[in-house]
Parts: sequence; C-alpha cells; structure tokens
Amino acid sequence: MTDDDRGTVPPETLLELRGIVKQFPGVRALDGVDLLVRAGEVHCLLGQNGAGKSTLIKTVAGVNQPDEGSLHWLGEEVRFPTPLAAIKAGIATIYQELDFVADLTVAENIFLGHERSSGGFLQRARANREATALLTRLGHGDIAPTRRMGALSPAAQQIVSMARALSHETRVLVLDEPSAVLDQEEVRNLFRVVRGLVAEGVGVVYISHRLEEIREIGDRITVLKDGRTVATGLAVADTPTSELIRLMTGRSIEYVFPERTVAPPDDDRRPVLEVEGLAQAGVFEDVSFTVGAGEIVGLTGLVGAGRSEILEAVYGARRPTRGEVRVDGRRLRRGSVDRAVRAGMGLCPEERKSQGLLLDEAVSRNITVSSMGRFARAGFLDEARERRAAEELTTSLDVRPTGVTRAVRTLSGGNQQKVVLARWLMRECRVLLLDEPTRGVDVGARAEIYRLVRDLADAGVAVVVVSSEIEEVLGLSDRVLVVREGRVVHSAPAADLDESQVLDLVMEGRAA
Amino acid sequence: MTESTTGVAAPLTKAPAADPPPPRGRSTSPLAALTGSGVGRNLGLVVALLILCGVGAATAGERFADLDNALTILRLAAAVGVVSIGMTFVITGGGIDLSVGAILALSSVWCTTVATQTMANDVHWSTMVIAAIAVGAGCGLVNGLLIAYGGVVPFIATLAMLASARGLAEILSNRRTQIVEVPGFDAFFGAEVLGIEVPVLLFVLVAIAGWVLLNRTTFGRRTVAVGGNPEAARLAGINVKRHTLMLYVLLGVCCGIAALMLIARTSTGSSTHGMLYELDAIAAVVIGGTLLAGGRGTIVGTVLGVLIFTTLTNVFTLNNRSISEQALLKGAIIVVAVLLQQRFARRSDSS
Amino acid sequence: MRTTTATLRGRLAVAATAGLLVVGLAACTGNDTSSGNDNLRGGTDGAAEGSNDEEGDTVVIGFSAPAADHGWMASITESAQVVADSYGDVELRIAEGTNEVNLQISQVETFINDGVDAIVLLPFDGAALTPIALEAMEAGIPVINVDREFNDPNAARVTILGDNYGMGVSAGQYICSELEGQSDAVVAEIAGIDSLPLTQDRSEGFAEALAECGLEVSNRVAADFTVEGGERAASNLLQAAPEIDAIWNHDDDQGVGVLAAIENAGRDEFFLVGGAGSANAMRSIQAGDGVLRATVVYPSTQAADAIRVARLLAQDKAMADLVEVEVPRQIQLFAPVVTADNVELYLDTAFES
Repeated sequence: MTDDDRGTVPPETLLELRGIVKQFPGVRALDGVDLLVRAGEVHCLLGQNGAGKSTLIKTVAGVNQPDEGSLHWLGEEVRFPTPLAAIKAGIATIYQELDFVADLTVAENIFLGHERSSGGFLQRARANREATALLTRLGHGDIAPTRRMGALSPAAQQIVSMARALSHETRVLVLDEPSAVLDQEEVRNLFRVVRGLVAEGVGVVYISHRLEEIREIGDRITVLKDGRTVATGLAVADTPTSELIRLMTGRSIEYVFPERTVAPPDDDRRPVLEVEGLAQAGVFEDVSFTVGAGEIVGLTGLVGAGRSEILEAVYGARRPTRGEVRVDGRRLRRGSVDRAVRAGMGLCPEERKSQGLLLDEAVSRNITVSSMGRFARAGFLDEARERRAAEELTTSLDVRPTGVTRAVRTLSGGNQQKVVLARWLMRECRVLLLDEPTRGVDVGARAEIYRLVRDLADAGVAVVVVSSEIEEVLGLSDRVLVVREGRVVHSAPAADLDESQVLDLVMEGRAA
Repeated sequence: MTESTTGVAAPLTKAPAADPPPPRGRSTSPLAALTGSGVGRNLGLVVALLILCGVGAATAGERFADLDNALTILRLAAAVGVVSIGMTFVITGGGIDLSVGAILALSSVWCTTVATQTMANDVHWSTMVIAAIAVGAGCGLVNGLLIAYGGVVPFIATLAMLASARGLAEILSNRRTQIVEVPGFDAFFGAEVLGIEVPVLLFVLVAIAGWVLLNRTTFGRRTVAVGGNPEAARLAGINVKRHTLMLYVLLGVCCGIAALMLIARTSTGSSTHGMLYELDAIAAVVIGGTLLAGGRGTIVGTVLGVLIFTTLTNVFTLNNRSISEQALLKGAIIVVAVLLQQRFARRSDSS
Repeated sequence: MRTTTATLRGRLAVAATAGLLVVGLAACTGNDTSSGNDNLRGGTDGAAEGSNDEEGDTVVIGFSAPAADHGWMASITESAQVVADSYGDVELRIAEGTNEVNLQISQVETFINDGVDAIVLLPFDGAALTPIALEAMEAGIPVINVDREFNDPNAARVTILGDNYGMGVSAGQYICSELEGQSDAVVAEIAGIDSLPLTQDRSEGFAEALAECGLEVSNRVAADFTVEGGERAASNLLQAAPEIDAIWNHDDDQGVGVLAAIENAGRDEFFLVGGAGSANAMRSIQAGDGVLRATVVYPSTQAADAIRVARLLAQDKAMADLVEVEVPRQIQLFAPVVTADNVELYLDTAFES
C-alpha cells in the first residue's frame, strides 16, 4: 500500500464486499451483501435491527468469517482470519459498546496491545506524547493522556477509542452507532472529527438509526434488509427520507406520533404524581411538577442536564437530599424503589439491557418480575397462569418473535422495550416513567411504542418521558419540561412549543 | 451474530412471524448439545456419576455396589450436601460465602456447651436444634447485613466471618471437644426410617425443599433475578438488599442444620468441625452448573456435584488410594466443569 | 462458534497437559528413601513352630489415621504398613489420613461394611470417633484405639497409648540431673498446641518433675507442631529470655524450626531437650555438635504395635510373653530419654521428620 495516493481523484476503492453470505445454524444472517467503501467518503449503513448490520461489520472486522462471497482490500482479495489481521490491514472498528480498560490511562488505552516500549520497558513519556498528537489530530488535544479512562465522559471515551484506531495505520474506520451515547453538542463535535478524517482520505463506515444524522454527515448510503443489500451506493443528497424508510421497512411510513386525545388535566382532581422541591445536592435542584391521570409529561435537556437523575429520584432509585414525591396524595419514602413500585410506579430505564432486563431469563419472567405476588399463593408460583398472562400481553403488544419462554436476549431492541413496558402493564401501574424509550429501537417499532404509551395515557396512567430527541418529546407529550444544568428552566404545553424553541431552551436556558 | 437470531423486528410490516429456531439449540457437537440445555447439563453430571460408579463397581465389586455402601456415601454427603444447597442460593443470588465451615463449627460448639446441654436435658432436646439453627442464622444475618447494607464485598465479609466464627468457636469450647450427652437428641438423630438414618433423610428433605424454593416460589425467582442483574431487579421493584440478606440467613440456617448432623454423627461439638467445607461446597455448586457469577442455579446439579465428590472419596477409600491423588482428580474435575460452564456462558452471550 | 470450540478444545488440551505435567513432575520428584524401619519386621521367616509369628488365618485389618502432615504422624502409618507387610497373613487396608472427622467416620463405616477382622484407629478427635467405634465393636469388630483415647471404654477392645505425662516427667528429670546444684537455673519450655490435652499432660509432668529438684519453668511459649510455628515461638522465647540454661521442646518436628531460630539468634549458652524422638534429632544428639543434647521418645510405633495386637485378636492368640490368655485392654508405652550414650538403641525405630 502506498501512502501518497490518499485523497486522489477519482476516489480510490478501499474496501469492497461482494455477495457476502454468513450462515449461522438455522439463520442466514447475511444473504448476499455488497458494499463498496471509497477513500475519503462517509458511507452510511442503514437497516433495521436484525437486518444484519452487526454481522456485516463483524465480518469486515475479522470477527466472523464469511461462508460465501469475497472481500477485497485495496483491490486484492483477502481474508481476515482474526480481528488483529483486519486491524493490521488498516480497518478499525469502534463498536457501540466501547471496549477499554477503565482503570488504565488514556494513553495506555490508546496503545493497548502495541505499547510504546523499549526492551520490555514502557516508554510512558513517549506514549503520552504520541497520544496527545493523536488526540490533537482529532481536535481533542484537551484530553490529558494521563487521565484515567473511566473518569472520562462517554463522548471523550469515544474520541479516545478513535485515537486508538488511528494509532494503527487506519484506512477504513467503522463506527457502530457512535452517536447513541452523545448529546447534540457532542454529536456535532463527532461530525467535525469524522469530516477531518475523511479529508485525510480515510474511508468511514457510519452506522446509525438517526436518519437526520445520516443526512448531515453521509456521502453515500447502503441499505440492508433481512441480510441483503436492497440498495447500495445511493447518494445521500439525492435520496429522500421517505425512500430510505421504504427501503428499510419494505413499505413507506411516516414518522408519526399518535393523535393526542385531548384530555385536559382535570383541575379539581388531584394529580396522580406530585413532585415537590425535589433536589439532590450537586445534581439537580428544586424540581417540582405534577402529572395528572392520562397526561404525558416530557422531560428534555442535554445529556448530563439531570433528566435521568430526576427520574431516578422520583422512582426512589436515587436518594434525594430534599423534597418529596407523592402518588395519589400519599407521600413516598425517599430512596426506596420497592415502596414506589408498591405505590404504583414503574420505570423503563435508559439502559434497557443492563438496568431493565434479565437477559438470559424468559420473556414471561421478565414481564412478571414486578407482579409475581399475583401469581403466587403463599410464595408458590403458579407458572402456568403466569405464562398465560404473559402470553396475552405479548400478543396484544405484538412482541416478535412470539414465544414467552424465549430468552429476552434474543429479542431486538424494540421488542425488548415492549417487554419492559409489558412488565408495567402487567402491574397495572398508575405512574409510568420512561427514560429514552426509543433508544436503539428501529423506526417501525418506534411508532408502535409511541402508540402504546399514548394508549396507556388514555387509560388513565400518568406518564413521564425523558428523551434527548426533541421531536419525540414534542410529538408524544402533552406538556414539556426543559431541564438545564439541574434545573427545570421551562414548562409549557407541547402545543405551544416548536423544535427550535425547545432547542434554544435546551442550549441556552431561555426561549428565543 | 447478535442480529442473526433476533429475527425480523419490524412489527409494522406484519410479516408472518416465523419463529427463528431457539438460539441455544444450535450446537456444533452432540456433546455441546448435551451440555447446552439445563437437562443436558444434569445429564452430563449423571453420566459422570455413573462412570464413577462403574469404576467403583469394577474396582471394588460388591464392596461398592452394596446398599450399606450407598448409605455410607449418603451419610458422608449429608452435611456438606445441606451446606451446598444453601450455597447454591447464595451463589445464584450473585454472592459467595467462605464462612460456612466456620459457622458450622461455631454452631456445633454453641449448641453443645454445658449450658445448652443442661437446658436440653432439663427442658427438651430440641433446645439444641434451636440453638444450632439460631447461631447459624445469626452468623448469616451478620454476613448479610455487612454485604447488603454495609456494602462490604461478599468475599471479604465472609472471609472475616470465617476467621471470627472459628475463633469464637475455639474460645467457647476452649479448643476442647464437647461431648454430647442428651439422650433425646441421640435418639432422634440416631433413629432410622425404613433403614435410613435421620441425617440422610434430612439431606433429602433439604434438597427437595431447596428445589421447590428455587424453582417454584417467588423467593427463588427473585434470587435468580437478583443474581442475574441486580440493577434490573432493583428497578423492577425487588428489594435487592433485603433479599440478599435473606440469602445469607438461609445459608446460615443450612449451616446450623449441617452442624446438627455432624453433632449427631460424632456425638461431639468441636471447633474443628467443618474444616474446608466452604471449598467443598463451592466446588460442588460450581460443577453442578450454577453460575459462579450468579443468575442461574440448579439444586439437582448441586446434589449431583456433592454425590460425585463423595462417591469419588468412597471409591478411593475402597481401593486404598491416597487422598492426594483424589485431590488431584478433584481439581481436574472442577477445571473441566468450569471450562464447560464458561463455554456455555460465552455462547449465551453471543446468542 | 467454531472459534469457541477451538478455544475450548485448546483449553482442555492445556488443562490435560498441565495435569500430565503435574503427574510427571510428581513421578520425577519422588522422595523415597529406603525406609530405616527394617527392624519393625515381625520375622515370620523362620518363626519358631507354635510361636505367635507363625502364619495363621488371613486377617483383614482396616487402618485409619489423621493426615500425615507431620513427621510423627507419617511414621505412624508407615510403620503400620511395614509391620503388616512383614506378615503373610495380614491384609492391611489403609484409609488415607484425614483431619476431617466426617470423612474418617465414613472410612470406618466402609470398614464395617467390608466386615474387616479388626480396625486400628488413630482418631483425629477421640470423642468424635467414639460413636462409630462403638458401632464397630457392636458389629463384632475389635477396635484398637491408638494414641488419642475414645471417651467410652467400650468403644475399643485395646487402647495403645503413649505416655504424655511421663514424657514431661522424663524431660524434667533429665534437666534436673544436668543442672544439679544450680537452683537459680533458667528453664524454658516450648510446648505444642497448647489446648490439646496431651500438651497439658506433658507440661504438667514437666513442671512436677522440675519441682522435685527445686526448679521451675521460667519462660513458656507454645507452638503448633509445625516447623514454622517452632521457629516463631523459639524466636520470641529467645528474645524474651537473654540468658537460659535449659529448654525443653515438646516436639522434634517443630524442633527443626526451634533449632533454626537458635541458630539465627547465635545462642549456645543452654542445652536443648527434644520430644517425640525424630531420627534427625537423634543424629544431632549422636553428633553432639549442637545445643540438642537429649530427646524424650514418644513412640511412633504405636500403630505398628496396634497392627500386631489386632492380628493377635483376630487370630484369637494371646500375647506370648504374658501369662494372661487374652490380650490386655490397655498398653501404655514408656517415654525414655535418649542421650548420646544410648542413642544407638533408638535410632533405628525413630521417625524421619
């Protein structure tokens, strides 16, 4: 490989996949995938959960070996028997779940596995110097190479992961949903970094659910559906969103929010959920709001503004220093989740997999975990009845694939979210708290979840939704609270706000 | 790989939902298929036990394949078996307890002190039973409080208990062996039902109760949830701290029962009882198939694990083989079992 | 999935290799030295017609003792084996040593199930093994209790004991005679595990014998029968007492550590009396080049004697040198003092620590 041909015109083809097939026992995960990545482009990979994106990038990264088809690297057919082989060739993959050693420093993480050393002794000064150079190249010379990795923000950790990729001679960088853990400012910054790399001639494969991001950063798009490429090399600029959705789902849908059934909060009746003067020192201050039966209240703000923390404190999962929470007028004990649950609250947490689900357990058990008492007599469970009840719910929520004895791990993000929702439906909760309910959920399932939340509200449940997607908050909620630096800076009916106003509030703390 | 098994996840398209095959069913070899499912895992243990019995019968003939010998194995297995069943709960719940042997010793000493025995003779022999179980539960309570509410790592909290409980046992007994002279106690634990001694029956009863508790009750379900994902369990409304506490108390009670069994068997309480039971119990639980990381437990596996180790001991004794060889083999069995288990865990991670 | 299998296979291979390696190493590091206990042989060869050593009906003897984690204890099992081997009519079943009473009980149960002719039992804990010994006796199997006594006399047909009190007395008397006339001599004592009855007996005998000649124990420390414990206890003792005339150390196994501590401290103003009677202690006495001047024997041949007694019982024989037609109920062994003068006599039956 030569280095002087970077950025030449016409763009050089770096990586080409032809007719890749990957078979797992019982499942044809990839069924003929083509992909062509050029130097100096951002190539977006689109597809719903289960379309085969993860399998595809694992194949590129040398984690999986394709059963059929060929891989061409710089014009030559190659095989990457191990991830190391792919890295050595110049393909770096940054997975959604960042892999780093939290207790090592930034520089140590960057050079992990190819430490800067001499005669077996680490050259720390050199490593730190080179780390800073790499980080500066990414526009983040401000990240000290001696910081402990675990102490960094998720965004900074991502930058370090990219620096690690660049510490090898990387020609193709694969980013798997890089924006999932970032707020808008950080995403903007990420885009700056990506553009810088592209300008240097690196080819970037960018995977994301967010169509608007792809529109902003992408050059060309390849769409996967059911393990097949349904479109490849589409120019971003020429392809309308509706066309992309049609390609991904096989039918055209709009990004629709369910109709708001106008049920103005009844002023005479007491609200279901009352939060008063809630505060946790150093995290959020003086948060007060109420949610009536049938009302959906949206909480939005930047990541780190304190939205999730407020929700956790309301739920008792976090102990506030001041303030109180009442459900149906009864005051809850601070910092006690089981009291909150007994009072009728339910939470769908942000980190579904690590906080919400027992991944290796059956769907039915995940649904009934909060209402086991209902299926038990003197502590003994009636499993048949339990399973029937879970089946009814999964059927009505259309959880796919069917079968409540299946481990939750095997479900897609959207269906997993439905399982968590089903848990609180089963419990017949009075107050439902949703933290980023559609994160990692594909377009189709999104609409279903919106519908479900609206149905619950219509049935009289008080709902609080935390989301960083302003569109979602505005579309779903009756009322919107904007949180900034631990304070509620604005509260208004959703109908009175538009996206740019909320954006200004989020960023600046005041309406334009 | 992740996405390959999740199936089509677009409910709006209403595609006919053909169930993808269950992900754990796929396997590369019949062996893997056997060890992959819960039943398969136990089957593997049964096969191992049968092989061991085959070896016993081949090398010791009738001396092995004999009802009396079977009872000898069960009597040896009883005390450590009861401890292992309690340990299964703690490990399934994501914990570990290194102090079981020490709790057993303390329990055996406390309920055989002159004071307790006098009381047992004056009031009722069951005073000793109550004392043993109360001491076990008390130690478990201390462990549980430290771990669940004090935030001490289980390994450390129970390590401290391991040292302290045996120390207290030595102080109480003045490091002497305390001889039990309570006729009612001897009569009860020495009794036989259908030719089987009470301690062996107790082991069977505890095993059955443990199975029901783990598999058929909310307590067991919560144990699995707490061990599998404590955060998710907490956010689902389970009182994780209280549950953790109860797991250690449960194990303490099991230690108390095991202490009674050892007292009945030896007619003594001693601070040297239950030496290294923690390792035997953990080993039995782990080869039984309970995940050391928590979240999955099997009582049947644990019982089989205990039986495998005790049968191994018995076969070695019958053949005049050295305990050192036995220890070597025991180590090998543990390693193989854990390798299989890791492979299983990896597979479920990747499915 | 394929990679996983490969890794697993690899791992298993590694584990297997490691296992083989261990076994191989064990084979290479065999520590066999030819046993010096040849004189334990019962001499069936050329046994006089009509003598007790004449071959009789084959008897099966079950043998169980605590773990051989200590030279004396190892010698117990070894010498029992040597004696059994010397008889053509004895089949010895040795259940490997254990310090776990539950397991030791199970071993005795196995002997009962097997219907052995006699059981030789050195219990880890005399009291704890009493019920099962009683059971064996009730099943008609004579039990020969060695060293650590049961708490029920009916649990054993014969009890063979060392003499712990006598050991103390012997050690005390020897020190008295060596220090004759020094009424202000400093005498120190390094005991074994302090809470064991046998240690208490030894110390009691020692104190009483010293009192006879107007001496007393000025400094007393306790170790735990291990080399490490002996070293630690002796270091402390030497630190505490700057000037010593005589030390009695209860146990020659821990004595290895005691001697190391004395060496390290560079002290030689006193003489040391050992206990139990290990071969290397006796060799040191024979060489006469150190502070160790004598040791008091606590015979490690108790179990060997027990095997002989068990054979006699099983074959319905009496002890030839006694008039009595039955084997006696109790045999207590003598605790002689070994010095340079008589060490030749004892060296052969001493145990290697």
